[in-house]
Amino acid sequence: MSSWPSNPKYISGSVKRVDAPAKVTGRARYASDIQAPGWLYGMILRSKWPSAKILSVNLDKALKVPGIKAAVAVRDAPFNVRFYGEEIAAVAGTSKQACLDALRAIEVKADVSKDFVVHESDAIKEDSPRVWEDSANAGAPRAHNKGDAESAFSECAAVIEGFYTTPVLIHNPMETHGSTVSWTDEGVTSWASTQGISSVQDGLAGALQLDRSRVRVLTDFMGGGFGSKFGPGAEGVLAARLSQQAKAPVRLMLTRFDQNLAVGNRPSSFQKIKMGATSDGKLHAFQIENYGTAGIGAGGDSGGGGGGANIPSPYLYKVPNYRVSQTSVAVNAGSSRAFRAPGHPPASYGMECAMDDLAVKLGMDPLEFRLLNDSSEIRQREYKTGAEKFGWKEKYQKPGSSPGVIKTGIGCAGAAWPGGRGASYTTGEAQINPDGSVEFRLGVQDIGTGTKTVIAVVAAEMLGLTPEQITVKVGDTNFPPGPGSGGSTTCPSVSPVVYDICANALQQLQAKSGLPDARGDNWFPACKKLGVTPLKVSGQWQEGLASGPAYGVQFAEVDVDTETGLVTAKKIVAVHDCGLIIDRLTLASTINGGVIMGMGYALYEERVMDSLSGVVLNPNFETYKVSGISDMPDIEVVLINMPERGVVGIGEPATVPTAGAIANAVANAIGVRVYSLPITPAKVLAALGKVPAPVPS
Amino acid sequence: MNAFEYATALSPDSARSLVGNQGAYLAGGNDLLGLLKDYLINADILVNIKSLPGLNKIEPGRRHWTLGTLVTIAEIEDNAGLAQAFPGLHDAAMEIASPQIRNVATVGGNLAQHSRCWYFRHRDTVCLKRGGDLCYARESDNRYHSLFTGNTCISPVVSSLATTFAALDATAIVLRNGKETPMKMDALYHRAWENPLAHNSLDPGDLILRVEIPTSRRSSAYMQVSDKHAFDWALVSCAAAADVVDGKLAHPRVALGSISPVPHQVEAANQFLNGKTLDDETASAAADMILKEARPLEHNAYKVPMAHALIRRTLLKLKG
Repeated sequence: MSSWPSNPKYISGSVKRVDAPAKVTGRARYASDIQAPGWLYGMILRSKWPSAKILSVNLDKALKVPGIKAAVAVRDAPFNVRFYGEEIAAVAGTSKQACLDALRAIEVKADVSKDFVVHESDAIKEDSPRVWEDSANAGAPRAHNKGDAESAFSECAAVIEGFYTTPVLIHNPMETHGSTVSWTDEGVTSWASTQGISSVQDGLAGALQLDRSRVRVLTDFMGGGFGSKFGPGAEGVLAARLSQQAKAPVRLMLTRFDQNLAVGNRPSSFQKIKMGATSDGKLHAFQIENYGTAGIGAGGDSGGGGGGANIPSPYLYKVPNYRVSQTSVAVNAGSSRAFRAPGHPPASYGMECAMDDLAVKLGMDPLEFRLLNDSSEIRQREYKTGAEKFGWKEKYQKPGSSPGVIKTGIGCAGAAWPGGRGASYTTGEAQINPDGSVEFRLGVQDIGTGTKTVIAVVAAEMLGLTPEQITVKVGDTNFPPGPGSGGSTTCPSVSPVVYDICANALQQLQAKSGLPDARGDNWFPACKKLGVTPLKVSGQWQEGLASGPAYGVQFAEVDVDTETGLVTAKKIVAVHDCGLIIDRLTLASTINGGVIMGMGYALYEERVMDSLSGVVLNPNFETYKVSGISDMPDIEVVLINMPERGVVGIGEPATVPTAGAIANAVANAIGVRVYSLPITPAKVLAALGKVPAPVPS
Repeated sequence: MNAFEYATALSPDSARSLVGNQGAYLAGGNDLLGLLKDYLINADILVNIKSLPGLNKIEPGRRHWTLGTLVTIAEIEDNAGLAQAFPGLHDAAMEIASPQIRNVATVGGNLAQHSRCWYFRHRDTVCLKRGGDLCYARESDNRYHSLFTGNTCISPVVSSLATTFAALDATAIVLRNGKETPMKMDALYHRAWENPLAHNSLDPGDLILRVEIPTSRRSSAYMQVSDKHAFDWALVSCAAAADVVDGKLAHPRVALGSISPVPHQVEAANQFLNGKTLDDETASAAADMILKEARPLEHNAYKVPMAHALIRRTLLKLKG
């Protein structure tokens, strides 16, 4: 079995992103920068009704708008739309304004007499309007049980009950969804903002009924996806159809408004938890009834899997007796997709809040309580390391005992991520030229985590070159295929492949050149011996160089203003493992991003649906609030390097425990629990009993 | 957006005649261009007023300071003399939007900006303010709306400058029908209370020329609370101004934003505070008076304790 070098020069070091200069100078061309010759703008007409039967879509007037070259309906009328923002038609034209004018000229006749429901708590009721005519909104509960929870509660020394809720979140990557698509007689080329070039290729080939070999997908740079950008989406297919009709490439990038309606979200959760422990502090009984919504249905266009409303439960802890029951509730809203660690952030939030609440009831330090009940040796180690760095012992006070109006509190929470092992079907190749230059080609894509840098670091290490001497090409379906960037799999997928390519390259180069070791100083002389023919080598994923799962714990310190309700996150210590660290800089960056996203979940982000009109009320960054620079705490990333485990992915676990840790810190500060995310000033004041009743009008 | 004509005015009078009754003045454009792009308003002509002479100056004076309508928020923020004369105004400017927006946003634009109600701003909820027949906010999600709700439209005034100018008893000089018309902040916003279609009392073609801030209150303060720490609208904002003589307040004024369609001021509270030495109890009693008539809605009653805390804190920041 293969193994990683024991005294690496670049691996586990701090190598700057190989594409950093291109990114900061604007030279990097993202999907939204692509300008194919003769390209047109594309735009989508969306339903302004949360539920309607579309009777007819007349595009005649739209096609007469000056500059408009194509217009298509998503399908033949009549058809139903089931959420505000569902796609109805699309146009392509020579300017944005022409498209806007054309969208307003499309005549849609609709029967809008259907009732709708947008809130889970309404949709779950028997008499609620139905999202799907043939089935109740609430799916059959999925249950799994162990032992006898009911009688076990009577054996507990302390039992808590809580109703912990989390909102629907929107992925909102900085670059919106979309692509430029060119459909000619030769086939389809899509320059897509995607985290899965192969799944976009599959999706387009399927939707357009073309051979896969006639669809090429290119993604040199893309601006984030978080699980929502695996497939071509309705927008990608519409761009292709518009291109076919207009006989020109069509760039169809969604607006921020579109982005918040129809391209995925993280389902909500409404977790009714009851949990008990024996007097020695051991978890003994657990019960959860959870429901959440994935919109009209889970996993729409989600090649990444997951995205449903169910959460792993009882999550990190081995409870001898439990009853778990979960239901997914349909509402008239856009469907969910995989969202960074599908299921885990809400699971961590609910369970870790319950852990703190039970610890308080038992009169125990919440960290001690976790160490008693968490059977993971790695997390135990991380809790102990993190507690030291964070100063847990010195900082911990009984809930609500912080003096003054602005109260300080601390909390912690744990993460698990079962994936992160890498995809064994990943392949790659390299071309080694007689001048010593070398280009690696892998059919993966860089979602922004530094995949190109990872490839360069591993290659430089193995070949005895510097990362700058390695040319890396990804994001082209003409390269040997690899997995989508999801599930924390990219780094453990590509690293073993690059290892194998390099091993094969050295072997062949040594054979051809007669040099016993073609690495380092011998590289160029060895390559020169190739004469005029470049050497092409391929590689496969190798057992033993990657593994999983990943763990991780985080600690949070917050200030809570008990008069205004404002929460200020002051400090986060994030302790994470990902086996063998490839590059500390890109790794820390990924963890920082996970913490920042988790902070948004804890304190700011929430999709707001309006029950009166059925619209998304906050489809913009004005009222869909994401963490800003002024909100940032001091984030300290503590990395546990475990080369013996091989490469493990980290994207998902980094964002899992943040919200639970912050929520626990808030509860510790003010002495009462805020049961609902995001923890806004309004909710803090309400939890403190300071909010008067509304005055009836 | 819909098509419009575009012209650059070189004098206030020509601006007025160019803009007609269906046009709009363009300065920083932060609000106006967004409204146009979202098809929330129409204008047949945009009249660029950025070249109007003399309206971009900050001028100190013995009795009052003058801020031209084209002075940017960043210029307020960066002006040391202004910060010394009116610390509250400086602090209010610092809280507005983001540095990028403050670089182009103007005094006049900040005062004349439209409602941020998320129903008004949503393309597919045609509310009272857009000529519809329903106030969605009153029936549905009103977490960001007014506490003083005895009128029709409950979207609150969000201009941080208006709140601060109210406390400083500043006067906007408005060019109306060829005449310079002085308007205090209550007059400038009064129509928004009465008429759901209005954001302020400006008639078509009215042009804010400048704001005059009396120097008689040498102490001032501004505070706000938002969901986030920056670049977020105030949930509640509060400004206070007074002269502090021998520790006692002289002609104090308190105004609040984001809780009423007009900067919320209670004259009785100002009078109560006059001549008092500030302490927690006095500030708290004033806050009670200011919020006494609040009629919170289903989702915004949290603003009552928040406003109470802000009034007390802002008052206690006034220094002699």
